[in-house]
Amino acid sequence: MWWRSASFILDRQQHQNRTVAPSPESFLLSSPPPMADSPLNPKSNISAYYQTRAAHHAVVTTDWLAQAQAAVGRHSDDDGSLGGDKGAARIGGGGGGEEEGSGKAFSVIDEFNSWRKQPALAEAVAAIRALAAVIRTSGAATMMELEIELKKASDSLKSWDTTSISLTAGCDLFMLYVTRTSALEYEDFNSAKSRLIERAEKFGEISCKARRIIAMLSQDFFFDGCTILVHGFSRVVLEVLKTAAENKKHFRVLCTEGRPDRTGLRFSNELAKLDVPVKLLIDSAVAYTMDEVDVVLFGADGVVESGGIINMMGTFQIALVAHSMNKPVYVAAESYKFARHYPLDQKDMSPARRPIDFGVPIPSKVEVETSARDYTPPQYLTLLFTDLGVLTPSVISDELIQLYL
Amino acid sequence: MPYTNQAAALIHSVKAVGERLIAANPVELAVGNVVRRVLHIVREEDLSLTTAAMAGLNLSAESDDEDDTDRDNHPALSAAAIAAASRSTLRPPSLQTLLEDVPDSAAVPHTSSSGGDSEGKSKSADKSSRSRKLKHDVIEAVNELIQDISTCHELIAEQAVEHIHQNEVILTLGSSRTVLEFLCAAKEKKRSFRVFVAEGAPRYQGHLLAKELVTRGLQTTLITDSAVFAMISRVNMVIVGAHAVMANGGVIAPVGLNMVALAAQKHAVPFVVLAGSHKLCPLYPHHPEVLLNELRSPSELLDFGEFSDCLDFGSGIGAPLLHVVNPTFDYVPPKLVSLFITDTGGHNPSYMYRLIADYYSADDLVLERRTTSGN
Repeated sequence: MWWRSASFILDRQQHQNRTVAPSPESFLLSSPPPMADSPLNPKSNISAYYQTRAAHHAVVTTDWLAQAQAAVGRHSDDDGSLGGDKGAARIGGGGGGEEEGSGKAFSVIDEFNSWRKQPALAEAVAAIRALAAVIRTSGAATMMELEIELKKASDSLKSWDTTSISLTAGCDLFMLYVTRTSALEYEDFNSAKSRLIERAEKFGEISCKARRIIAMLSQDFFFDGCTILVHGFSRVVLEVLKTAAENKKHFRVLCTEGRPDRTGLRFSNELAKLDVPVKLLIDSAVAYTMDEVDVVLFGADGVVESGGIINMMGTFQIALVAHSMNKPVYVAAESYKFARHYPLDQKDMSPARRPIDFGVPIPSKVEVETSARDYTPPQYLTLLFTDLGVLTPSVISDELIQLYL
Repeated sequence: MPYTNQAAALIHSVKAVGERLIAANPVELAVGNVVRRVLHIVREEDLSLTTAAMAGLNLSAESDDEDDTDRDNHPALSAAAIAAASRSTLRPPSLQTLLEDVPDSAAVPHTSSSGGDSEGKSKSADKSSRSRKLKHDVIEAVNELIQDISTCHELIAEQAVEHIHQNEVILTLGSSRTVLEFLCAAKEKKRSFRVFVAEGAPRYQGHLLAKELVTRGLQTTLITDSAVFAMISRVNMVIVGAHAVMANGGVIAPVGLNMVALAAQKHAVPFVVLAGSHKLCPLYPHHPEVLLNELRSPSELLDFGEFSDCLDFGSGIGAPLLHVVNPTFDYVPPKLVSLFITDTGGHNPSYMYRLIADYYSADDLVLERRTTSGN
């Protein structure tokens, strides 16, 4: 079933009734000239998470985005009226009562966006840096007040983009750290505050350090002459393969095309620079080539409590094929991507929709599955390489329990 | 090499000896395991002593300097906070420690130096008595470890009654002392069951095990290794020993056991591995068939007299055409193992990481010493 409710026909009719003709404001929104100022309407049908990813890699241009929006225009929700002015001010539920709140949260979201623009920085780290900025600019005089402010800021960040797992995980991790720290006896509020800020800034370095640790730990798992299958564009995986290439390991990489993000093309570009033999496959050719593959390697958008991962659409498929052919499936993910989330099936997460350009106009009666990511259950994963060490999927829930209880 | 820290000196010397022991026989993983256990013991004892000392020092300092306002200038972390932070260094890195920072070693003497001059003399006396206490504690703990290793068979055998039931058929391969004691313990508790013993070529130690079992009064059937697949459908449980258990739950076992594990999986027979906790290795197996294997002499397979012309290098053809490979060990992947029975109880293969975190420290996994100027 496509929809949760049984009366999906009713829902659909309602949906179509509410659809407004594409407002000029939303078009304005989607084609601002410089990328740096793009307000990124969070309520649009494209998940903000993927908007930024596209912006980072500059493959998806803003005109393309506009075209795509037009192509799937019938899915545009009722928020055409909400477009227009700074999308950033629209944080989780409007209402005039939020003026001062939105003033403060305005800076959080802005700050977050400015950090996120750096392509090397992970989402969770950007979130933590933004929260550190909140601490710095806060006028609170006690830990309790500071905590409340941070909670508000963290909630607004999370509701701004409900689809990003690592954003939620990063915010939660930082909030937990703050509550734990305040439990220790500090004589002086200012020293506690400065300590929090200092730790948050140091956390940014962890992002790069984490990738290096993961690259180091995973080296032993690739032997000379192995064939690695990768899917999606993960900076961690790229670091792993870079390190292997630097250590003069001989291996070759099979890269899936990764429609519609064209991740395969970007990834193979990067690998070609490293002089690593790369072969591109279309997504459907994975099972065909699986018997010449020795190792399957993924990154992850998020690691959930069951030990499974949430990653780009297609990951589950490849893991299934690899499992049935007895190939090891390895996941490289930093530890701040662990999230307290336990999806029971594919539809259990908030859908991150992403427009797909088929190249030809699609008749309006035809639906398109636009979800951008899927959930891979832990029984199809062999090992996870994290900066906490090499872990089996069963360790993840243990780690999360240790942290949150 | 002067070390301000007694524990660090101990760790350094243990690592030095441990490195050489491991280098002597890398395939014998138990050596590395024990070295790492001892290192973990040293760290733990040092930590508990430090915590106790800190708590004592802080208390006395506070009582003496109640009116000392200088102490308010720097953040006074309570002993509990320091202990909690230090404890986090002992545990493997976790999400919790990701944001927390270990207070620098400078912070620890800093707070202790704020205790005032009257404490100076008693501090130095404390220090030397502490180092003596550390050694004493470590030696005690190591003796306990030795005790544990020698009694592991009994502890494992105690659990036999829970797993072996009346009128069951047990399959094993080769000979293992742990398995022998396990089966005999069940026999003593008046369970009647039968044992199939696969002979375990080329050493044929299964013959010895069969003889032992018969003298203890157990009904035994001896089969060849190749007959395992034929007989597995008649078997209720497979119980074997292990050479080593790796961090992912995989088992390094005598050759032939991978085949038995596959047969057991095919017929849904539980595959139980008995292993003392000193066999638990914190490393991941990379290419265990090659890197963690030992190739023994071909004479166990072939008689040199008959085959000397095939195996001989100097026979005029150049390299000999007949190669004989005699590996000692097999690698059984974790998904084929149903249960591990250790001296601490029965565990899932996916639970191994927990035991590793208990017994070993993350810093000890790689035992190479950094270059020191003194050497």
